Amino acid sequence: MSDSRYNPSASELEEITRANIGDKIYEKLQASTVAVAGLGGLGSVVAMSLLRAGLGNLIIVDFDKVEISNLNRQQYFADQIGMYKTDAMLENLRRINPYAKITAHTIKLDARSVEELFSDVDVVAECFDVATAKQMIVETVLSRMPNVGIVAASGVAGFGRSNVIETKKISSRFVLVGDLESEIGEGVGLYAARVGIGANHQANAIIEMLIEKKN
Amino acid sequence: MSKLKINGKEKDFSHKIPSCLSELLELLEVDGATVVAEIDGEIIERSKFETTKLQEGQSIELIRFVGGG
Repeated sequence: MSDSRYNPSASELEEITRANIGDKIYEKLQASTVAVAGLGGLGSVVAMSLLRAGLGNLIIVDFDKVEISNLNRQQYFADQIGMYKTDAMLENLRRINPYAKITAHTIKLDARSVEELFSDVDVVAECFDVATAKQMIVETVLSRMPNVGIVAASGVAGFGRSNVIETKKISSRFVLVGDLESEIGEGVGLYAARVGIGANHQANAIIEMLIEKKN
Repeated sequence: MSKLKINGKEKDFSHKIPSCLSELLELLEVDGATVVAEIDGEIIERSKFETTKLQEGQSIELIRFVGGG
């Protein structure tokens, strides 16, 4: 059997994406910037979905390394254990689109760095694991960054109950995804399936926000 | 009348409303470190929960985050 694999050119990828979503939306997404804060079960999926959609500028941030316990739900591979998540995700995103504009920061975000790094983005995807970190970034964007949207997630642990995961529009620049109560804890794990539903609610809400955003 | 509107629902406090945002969260048994709060449409940063006095009739939105992602 001959190997029929080949690598598409940048213009081929552009053409196929334009054909899929139309020129107007393509140009809008190409001109947009999204920061994905946290590259775990939520962020690794959000980043991939946004890139596949045709997002022009992606910023990815995480301080952690890929661990064996991440493989149950995060979009990494066994041979990437030990790498920084930013490096591993960059590698995986480049396999989807080798020409995409992606900036990676390997740092632990706090209120100050959120303001510094994300003040010019269109939307921040809150993809943290820890509740207090979620609080920090949502509060920072809403109180100090009036031109930036945020799409956050809360309540994606466990399995089943797909239909109670909702996309709630809290304000014109704040969307909250999840069932708002399913928390990790003893006997309640995280699954690629349910976290992934939440993550793609986020990605879908972000795409909608970007397309509907007035310039 | 000792009322506040919390997440769209009127809540009646028997004697008087809690004096500050921290006291309200304590009463509701919610960990402030996981809450984004808004009073009458304005975000109140967590560092100001203790110094933010409440007034009757205010509309308070509390968004509590849970872990997992």
